Amino acid sequence: MTTITQNNKSFFPSKFLQFYKDRTLLAILLSLFAVMFVYGIFFTDNYLTITNFKAIIRDAALYGIMAIGLTFVTLSGNFFLLSLKETASICGVTFAMGMATGFGSPDLVGNFLVSLLAALSVGVLSGVIQGYFVGMGGNPIVVTLGGAGILYGIGAWWSDNLVINFKRPHDAEWLGTGSFLGLPSITLAFILIAIAAELVLRHTNFGRKVYLVGANKAAGRATGHENFSMAIIVFTICSVCCAFVAVAFVAQMDSAQSNYFSAEFGSSGDMTILVIATVMVGGNSIMGGYGSTLRTSLGAIFIAMVDNMMVLQGFNSGPRIVGVGLMIVFSIIVFGLFAKGSRAQE
Amino acid sequence: MASDPVLKISNVSRTFGAIQALKEANFEINEGEIMGLVGENGAGKSTLVKIISGFDPGFKGSYQLNGKEVKFDTPSKAEESGIAIAQQELSLIPNMSVAENIFLTGAKVKKFATLNTLSKMARPYLDEVGLTDIDPSTRINLLSVGEQHLVEVARLISREAKILILDEPTAALGELESRRILEMVQRLAKNGKSIIYVSHRLDEIFKITKRITILRDGVSQGVQETKDIDVNKLVEIMLGRELANMFPSRADHISLVSKIEVKDLWPDGVLEPVSFSAYQGEILGLSGQLGSGAGEVLASIAGALKSRSGSLTLNGETFLPKSPSQAIKKKIAYCSSDRKKDGLFLGRPIFENLTSPALDTISKFGFNFGSTEDSYAKNLAQEFLIDVKRVYDESGLLSGGNQQKVALGKWLSIKPDVLLVNEPTRGVDVGAKSEIYQRMRELAARGITIIFASTDIQEITYLPDRVITFYRGMMIDEHRLEQIKTPVILKEITDPFNETSI
Repeated sequence: MTTITQNNKSFFPSKFLQFYKDRTLLAILLSLFAVMFVYGIFFTDNYLTITNFKAIIRDAALYGIMAIGLTFVTLSGNFFLLSLKETASICGVTFAMGMATGFGSPDLVGNFLVSLLAALSVGVLSGVIQGYFVGMGGNPIVVTLGGAGILYGIGAWWSDNLVINFKRPHDAEWLGTGSFLGLPSITLAFILIAIAAELVLRHTNFGRKVYLVGANKAAGRATGHENFSMAIIVFTICSVCCAFVAVAFVAQMDSAQSNYFSAEFGSSGDMTILVIATVMVGGNSIMGGYGSTLRTSLGAIFIAMVDNMMVLQGFNSGPRIVGVGLMIVFSIIVFGLFAKGSRAQE
Repeated sequence: MASDPVLKISNVSRTFGAIQALKEANFEINEGEIMGLVGENGAGKSTLVKIISGFDPGFKGSYQLNGKEVKFDTPSKAEESGIAIAQQELSLIPNMSVAENIFLTGAKVKKFATLNTLSKMARPYLDEVGLTDIDPSTRINLLSVGEQHLVEVARLISREAKILILDEPTAALGELESRRILEMVQRLAKNGKSIIYVSHRLDEIFKITKRITILRDGVSQGVQETKDIDVNKLVEIMLGRELANMFPSRADHISLVSKIEVKDLWPDGVLEPVSFSAYQGEILGLSGQLGSGAGEVLASIAGALKSRSGSLTLNGETFLPKSPSQAIKKKIAYCSSDRKKDGLFLGRPIFENLTSPALDTISKFGFNFGSTEDSYAKNLAQEFLIDVKRVYDESGLLSGGNQQKVALGKWLSIKPDVLLVNEPTRGVDVGAKSEIYQRMRELAARGITIIFASTDIQEITYLPDRVITFYRGMMIDEHRLEQIKTPVILKEITDPFNETSI
């Protein structure tokens, strides 16, 4: 028995490599944080203030929550949900419609709970439908690009491309601009969702299946874990995250319009690209099976930090978009190199 | 020795970090000679092959070609000197023609060449490897895997390779196709080419080689004349110990209680509905070449392949699984033939692989905090002789034999009633092979019904208690233990209707 295990020794000290790979990636991310931080302290005015750090995390929260949802999709090997901003858009319009018109019933005008449930249901519905088609074998890129057009179109049609206003005071202020324990509620939501998502991935059967199916769909099917149900669930999780962010954003603005998430949102102007960037900068494998929502959360904060510094330095949106682009390119190169090293003996 | 060896490697060593893959290895080959290269997985065969073919310039030692010291930085340099390798995974482009693939690099081809000219140019090379009946303008993906191997070799010859390295050319091939490869190797040697033949199939090594170089733990164990040595001696040198008996002895008696009844199963690739039954605690072998339908029958029992009709009866229930997950619920486990494709989650740790079919049993209300899983995975690893300390490693880092043990071992986690195994030992070295056979026999003794499909005639002759033969999608015959005879089975899976004699 022992002779066999000795004879079959591997060329690479794999345990060491695994450890090395995980730690190196983390170290790279953390040292980037440190460099940015030090640079900020010395070269940027108003950087080292609590208000500014709260602002950074608050910025990170909106696309961070969506990116956590998208991480489930990416980890499970279903690439990306490309209709992120369109899903958010139609859910935002739904919520605002509820707050402003009560969907036609005067009793429901301004009813937060009904509007919220309506927005979340739209999210669930769009997630289930897109997930169903991907689960049936559709290409995720094609399916969700199609979904993007349809969702955006319906939202624009329904709202006549107008800004839907609802006046303060309204019942959603606590979510939009309120705070608890000195933290904005959206920041708190980000932290709670990040913790919950990480726990689900690490300690539930569902989380394990996400990784397994992402690592190898065929082997997943052979061991009884079909991508059909997986796709529906992960796309639904992602869409619901979009819906939640949309509601919080609309509550903050007291208004909604179907192209709210295409323009003037965060640094990159385009929500979908920003969220995908967050997942990538966090170092998650595009092919699935490797990564975590913790990485995504760190990625979100990192992007927000860089963006914040560029704002304070007086850059306008053009160079900031370039910044996000560079971060994606950089992360793909670095993480790609290290991911290769670990599977040398395949 | 009449002539000096064309290629001579002496005192070569190669280290990767702390691990010494080769130490003081020697190797030589004469002109027109077939040299076998054997050793367990991880013995250093692939490292040696990489050094010879120029993939790995980072070694220490002497490398002489035609008596001159050489050093190749890249594989293309080695190729220029006439050393070429046909790897196990083919590098042909599937939707291009045979001729285009042969002249892929464009050397010796005019700037503008029609498929017709290429075809004419390809003809002599195809003839040389024995593909006389293949039209050079056929697309590669219309050829069988064996024929593709031959095309690959033809391509190497077209670049005037003098020394050919064939790395497990028959690993994925059935009996007939393997014979074609062997014939080609012998023909090439007659034409003066030197051939380094790497294989786990020892019968082939004995059939065609003149001398054999044996590697063990990175050390070459001297060169043996093939005619002076027998299989047992060879295996002993390979393993460094005696392998008492590769195949475990059969059970004293098999209870004739039918465990699973297969009725009128009719998957794609099988010509007519198939019915048979398997007894409790027996090992039933389905014998047939690639495309004979044996593997398809197994896959459709497991729900991995759709069946047009039929049903299974297991534990008093009659059903037909439509997906693997339904089969798993009925305690039917299926280990596929291609572990890299759908047998393993290569990028994930070993323990996750081992518990992957049984996530529901190791968790409570869908939560899994690790401790149950840990002991579960470690028990399985122990039972299948996988190093328990390595269960947290990526499974892709294991050697072929250990990967196969994980792919098979994971199915014990569902406590199966029926275990289906397609090609239990493909690409696995002798040591791991005998362990896998041993384990299958033990599982059968515990009352599990094992049905396996194999193209390996030795495995079919010595492992199972009963054999069913398949030929071109038809079930041919059934043999009880006392009737299992190699020639009879071989005849039934290659030519049951005496077609060759007509």
